[in-house]
Amino acid sequence: MADAALDTAIGAPVRVQGSRRATAIVPERSVAGRTLVLLIAIMTFLSGVTLGGVVLVQKSAVAWSSDVGREVTIQIRPVEGEVMDSNIRTAIALAEATPGVTEAHALTLADSEKLLEPWLGAGLDLSQIDIPRLIVVELGDPKNVDMSMLSTNLQSIKGASLETHAAWRQQLNTMAGTLVVSGVLVLALIVLATVLAVVFATRGTMASNREIVDVLHFIGASNSFIAGEFQGRFLSLGFRGGVVGGLGAVLFFFIVAGAAGSIMPDQASAQLGFLFGRFSLGLDGITGIAAVVPVIAALTAITSRTTVRRFLTQTS
Amino acid sequence: MIDFNNVGLRYGHGPEILRNLTFNIEPGSFHFLTGPSGSGKTSLLRLLLLSLKPTSGVVKLFGRDVSAMDQDSLLDMRRHIGIVFQEFRLLDHLTTFENVALPLRVRGEPESVYRSNVTELLEWVGLGERMDALPPLLSGGEKQRAAIARAVIGRPDILLADEPTGNVDPELSLRLVRLFAELNKLGTTIILATHELPLLDSFDFPRMALRDGQVTMHG
Repeated sequence: MADAALDTAIGAPVRVQGSRRATAIVPERSVAGRTLVLLIAIMTFLSGVTLGGVVLVQKSAVAWSSDVGREVTIQIRPVEGEVMDSNIRTAIALAEATPGVTEAHALTLADSEKLLEPWLGAGLDLSQIDIPRLIVVELGDPKNVDMSMLSTNLQSIKGASLETHAAWRQQLNTMAGTLVVSGVLVLALIVLATVLAVVFATRGTMASNREIVDVLHFIGASNSFIAGEFQGRFLSLGFRGGVVGGLGAVLFFFIVAGAAGSIMPDQASAQLGFLFGRFSLGLDGITGIAAVVPVIAALTAITSRTTVRRFLTQTS
Repeated sequence: MIDFNNVGLRYGHGPEILRNLTFNIEPGSFHFLTGPSGSGKTSLLRLLLLSLKPTSGVVKLFGRDVSAMDQDSLLDMRRHIGIVFQEFRLLDHLTTFENVALPLRVRGEPESVYRSNVTELLEWVGLGERMDALPPLLSGGEKQRAAIARAVIGRPDILLADEPTGNVDPELSLRLVRLFAELNKLGTTIILATHELPLLDSFDFPRMALRDGQVTMHG
């Protein structure tokens, strides 16, 4: 296309340039970048904390259920005319004779004092009062233990009863299930809020970049190309925000786990540790939170692309 | 190449901006589109650019009725049409090179393929040393030459120019129209909208005069 005559007319000196790196068609500063990154980081953090919480509760519930399921308790109530120690020995013998039981042992008075300590206070002297005694029966394979046989056999001991913790396990499973469903609902709400925020941010970005969109249309850019340019910008923002929020969520669990061990009194810390396994997310929890990052980034990109395409269709 | 048959245009429920336009433009021709401000020059150019559809009549480009075409086909056809605006409409965050290369970039062509063509064209329009400059740093004349280069880099069959000399001095106006004339010699059909009478008198190209929404062909 070079034309020497025209060069003369325009008066142009000639210089050949080298290769250059293409600038993004949608300028970064025109997107509400920092605000959106912060917003996505917060949403990812909340998603991560919710997901981590669900994982913790689920894992703890499974662990509780498994632990509780491997034990049953025989309670021997004091009965007038009965010798407690004798009844305890008989109950232990009956329990150990039951197939599937690996071991049975009675809690000492000291153990019982410890169990009652949170309600009755420390320094009790239980020797002065008659309290029921407990026998812990450990099960090798809970599925193959004949509980009805053990229960029938224990009827020969006055004041003996068998507690299989079935009701407690049922309540535990119900509570864990409720928490998991609640967590999933919260996650869904966070995702919805993220989508809405990205929709508004995209619409704002489209409005502020209207000139660019018009020029791209005039030079023959397809809606798909334009949507792709905006999608790329939002994917980058979504990924950055997601990484910040995801790291924040993992850090949150480490800090809480550390705080539970060092700030809280031993007793409270122990109870929390019993409830939540010392807040240890484990590999699956961390993997879950890490998976939130690309999901949020992809969600941001897809939402912005859909919003841009709808905007372009409406305005074309 | 361009056939208008009883074409009318109105915006919404407003009055008719263009009425019963009937004309034909042959390939490789050069026409001035004249008329006072508000006579509908820009609306006619937008019809030609396919960014508007007529409210009545038939517009045919390259032998095809544009009213019956879907969006993808319109897009394909638009790539055969270049446009130069009075206000340049360059993207301020892209360099001159990137602005001119934009039509090729949106077609998915890699820079390694188009780099030499864009460089050559920029040199041709006298912007060889301004390739890396951002538009805010260019003079009015440089911006307009960059806008023209962007319009022709995709080798369009039709080049539309909406008051391309409106923001430059008379001397540069003449040089820019000469540039359009050179492009026309290379085979591009050109419609150049202007209301600058001295400019019209300096060139012997046929004129399409718009007045009260109707067109009259002269020359």
